[in-house]
Amino acid sequence: MLAVMREVQVPLLAVLLFCGSAAKARQAIGTHQGSGPTAMFPLRLRRPAAVALCATEFVLGAALLLTAGHAGAGNPAAAARAATGLLFGTAAAALYELRARRPDAGCGCFGELSRTPVSWRVTARATLLCVAALSSIGIPPLRMPDSATQAWLTLAAVAAEVAVLAALSPEISQVMLRLSHADPCELREVAVWRTLSALHASASWRRYQRFLVTAEPIDVWREGCWRFVVFPGVVASRRVDVVFAVHLARRGAPVRVGMLDTGAGFVPPLEAPLEDPLQMSNRV
Amino acid sequence: MAWWWLQSHSGQVRNNRGISAISRTLPESGASARFARRALLRAAVFETRDQELWAHRPAIAASVTTGVLAEVREDAIAVDGEHGTEFFGVSSATVTWLGARASPSALRPGDQVIVRHRTMDAAPARKHAERIWARVGRITGTIVAADGLEFLVDTHRDDRAPQRVVIPPASSRQIQVRFPRLAPGYLLDVIGTRHGDHLLAVAPATAQPPYHAGHSPRPPLVGGPVPMPISGSAVWHEPDDEPPGLLGLAYPAIDPEGGAQPGDGGTGCVRLPYLSLGATVTIRNECADLAAMLPVTSDGAMAREFCDRCVECGTSPKGRVADLTMTAFVGLGGNLEDGCFNATLTTMAG
Repeated sequence: MLAVMREVQVPLLAVLLFCGSAAKARQAIGTHQGSGPTAMFPLRLRRPAAVALCATEFVLGAALLLTAGHAGAGNPAAAARAATGLLFGTAAAALYELRARRPDAGCGCFGELSRTPVSWRVTARATLLCVAALSSIGIPPLRMPDSATQAWLTLAAVAAEVAVLAALSPEISQVMLRLSHADPCELREVAVWRTLSALHASASWRRYQRFLVTAEPIDVWREGCWRFVVFPGVVASRRVDVVFAVHLARRGAPVRVGMLDTGAGFVPPLEAPLEDPLQMSNRV
Repeated sequence: MAWWWLQSHSGQVRNNRGISAISRTLPESGASARFARRALLRAAVFETRDQELWAHRPAIAASVTTGVLAEVREDAIAVDGEHGTEFFGVSSATVTWLGARASPSALRPGDQVIVRHRTMDAAPARKHAERIWARVGRITGTIVAADGLEFLVDTHRDDRAPQRVVIPPASSRQIQVRFPRLAPGYLLDVIGTRHGDHLLAVAPATAQPPYHAGHSPRPPLVGGPVPMPISGSAVWHEPDDEPPGLLGLAYPAIDPEGGAQPGDGGTGCVRLPYLSLGATVTIRNECADLAAMLPVTSDGAMAREFCDRCVECGTSPKGRVADLTMTAFVGLGGNLEDGCFNATLTTMAG
């Protein structure tokens, strides 16, 4: 069983390194900042340090896979695994130091998902991965299982290690939370073009479009779940502003309409539109 | 002899008089006219009454006057404000702040002042100064350069150049206790007195966040609609390019599609509904039990960065819900030297 455990480390480590690298790259591109142990660097060096760490993980992941078979057996495989062990060992020490110096900082191991403050679990995970990488040095080149029993043993070893890693990973709860969560509409960023698209698809737009002077809105603003879009219009030879209120919760939600004389006068809210609501409700 | 008889302000009535204390006399500007128009347009769609707040003109606080001190007498001061020279009676009950508590006699003509006053019941034409703040200033932002105890601070307000802050030796210990990391990249929030192009910091406005600017903690995820009202801390900022008497607030969650770009700190550590400039919110000072409906007049970029609490009356939840103009802060019963008050915010947005 121990031999099987050693054999599964190489692909597992490679997958983890690729995931970590991708998450760090996404964060580096999105926020232009470093995270995790890079928080201990001077400000100007944080991003370069984060990029270097991201690239190192990718290179090591690729090296582990390329040297896993017969092609890289021997010294190349041992070097890749030793380097991986060194990386995780250094990470464990850095996380221990980070926890003491910046208790508020997350480990940054998986980018945005790793924002919770560094705990003993994260340090233990890095230590475990260091041990895993070092234990894989000297194993023979990877091959397909010889028998069904061997295959089941391999699967069981992978499942057991994944379970342990999941238990040591605060990121799992973040992933589950994000997968099951949707922000309410007032907290959601909604692009204006989406609002305009929803407006143009609405019955209200088709009904009132003929009164509009321009196709481009003259004012757009948002209040919580509503985005207001204003167009200049002409009704019965009077200039008016036609305002559409588009609910941002879902596509196809009703669009409400109001209008205001471009003079200072205030026109009460429209009643339910009839055949020609503008003529019926707007005192122009 | 005093101009008019004095009345202890300990007898001040604590009620919801904030809204009724707002009058509307400020000259119309382009932006405010646009926002007033928005209120009218909103009312054309919904049954809202907030267009009454704007009523074609932005509001000013009837109990607050800002201006330049024109004259200091033993029993009164004269302030040149937007509406000409106004006189306010002063007494031993008047609290004066000039870097610290001071006597009204310490004021000098030419000082920029903000006065919270009340009207005598017996003589409505006479105003009595309850509190006077002279040359008060505040800088909240990210330290971009440090040279000893002099700093350049980026306040993230429009395209304003970094502000210069000087910490005098007498205040350095008090400030460094709460702002131990006076280095580029860290946040600074200090209150002091204005001297030409720099602020002489005399007190910390809060405690320094342990994180760099742009690294404020993420707010907790919200499952359903945002519960109203939202509690937190309300702070104040200097007018910069705003009219000095403007009643309004910088809101931390300005709709990014409306022109404001949330910084790397996201929308701060409070979950607030996205609003655009010109929207109206109700702010309540929980310490003074005063409330007012105020327009969103600017982007509260710095309010997003701080995840602090206000402890003026109890401990507020984490996060700044509003960054009020000085006039609004004072009009709602806040004391500028305190830096904050415990507040609740209610948006009109559904």
